[in-house]
Amino acid sequence: MFEQFIGLLFVLGEQTGLTLISIGNIIMIIVGGLLVYLALAKKYEPFLLLGIGFSCIVSNVPGSDLTAPGGLFYYAFRGVEMVIIPPLIFLGVGAMTDFGPMISRPSLMILGAAAHAGIFIAIVLAKLTGEFSVAEAGAIGIIGGADGPMAIFVTMKLAPHLLPQIAVAAYSYMALMPLIQPPVMRLLTTKEERSIVMKQVRPVSRIEKIVFPFVIAIIVNLLLPPVAPLITMLMLGNMLREVLLVERLAKTAANELMNIITIILTVAVGSTMAADRFLTYKTMLIIGLGLVAFLGGTASGVIGAKVMNLFLKEKINPLVGSAGIASVPIAARVAHVVALKENPYNFLIMHAMGPNLAGVFGTAISGGIMLALICK
Amino acid sequence: MTIVPVTVPDTLEGAVILSIIDFFLSIVIIYGISLILHIFPLLNKLGKISDEQLKDGH
Repeated sequence: MFEQFIGLLFVLGEQTGLTLISIGNIIMIIVGGLLVYLALAKKYEPFLLLGIGFSCIVSNVPGSDLTAPGGLFYYAFRGVEMVIIPPLIFLGVGAMTDFGPMISRPSLMILGAAAHAGIFIAIVLAKLTGEFSVAEAGAIGIIGGADGPMAIFVTMKLAPHLLPQIAVAAYSYMALMPLIQPPVMRLLTTKEERSIVMKQVRPVSRIEKIVFPFVIAIIVNLLLPPVAPLITMLMLGNMLREVLLVERLAKTAANELMNIITIILTVAVGSTMAADRFLTYKTMLIIGLGLVAFLGGTASGVIGAKVMNLFLKEKINPLVGSAGIASVPIAARVAHVVALKENPYNFLIMHAMGPNLAGVFGTAISGGIMLALICK
Repeated sequence: MTIVPVTVPDTLEGAVILSIIDFFLSIVIIYGISLILHIFPLLNKLGKISDEQLKDGH
């Protein structure tokens, strides 16, 4: 009787995940917990980190097969893998974004390209490690574009097997930008530079805002077909917003659809953080190179703005250069907060939004050129 | 002279060439877009679109 009882308990135990849990799983559960902590306690991008952290924890508890073929998280990831989710995210981003700050001051757009030197530093360093092909190095470099959907899109074309690591690195660093960027920004600027108050920009008319998405969609489809799906959807969303006539569609894209896609995306990204795939030497390298790309991009953006100041009569606050890294609107907010610490009356956010929005195009252009050159 | 299309070699040199071309072209294309945006204020000469009129168009 007793032996039967123990035997049944043993059979029951075998069907739980208790016997399968590894040290790696425990480490990844702690990592997931850390992401949740950062979202809750530090308020670092809770919309992204809560879903990623929760999904990372659950995916590392063996037994449920949520991430195995047939599991719910598996299908969430299939949406990412099949490059359906990233263009839909861009549709929502377009419907949420006012490109006015970029249209009103196009001279700052160049910072959206300057702040992407980090991508290229990471590419060369990745190749120098001897661990990655040029295609893999390109996918790693695009982490420095600080644009999650674009990173996923480019990685799926160049090195799909690295998608989990690259997606996690891109989204985690984007969420951690308030920690990563300020030290670099302060290191490269003086107190006087950080205190520069910029002149108000001109208001942008409705007709300009309506024409803008059509012009950009034509340019991108013409010059950068590899990334046209993303930018076209971005511009579609923006057109829906700016025409004012289809408010219901614009609101759906910006709110309900965006929220649903964000839940799917964060769950999908977190579900790829399984210990056996994630705790590898290459993952550590990718995480490190991603950080270098972010730091390099921030630095090159600030330096780019300082170089511009050499030629400008009316100086710009070099902090806006760091926003050129993309990650809308996180990077612009970081520039604003750093400037606010020097001068509580300096509201840099709208000025930083210009380069920040240009950064989205900068990442798309870099990714498009990379795809065109490597995938040829 | 015939131009033969080549791919980026899978070497360190290839990574450097890719980075230089990509960075340079990114700056050129972004600058090109900014030039187009510089002429956007001319669109206002076509007339003014009223937000209220657009919203009432349903």
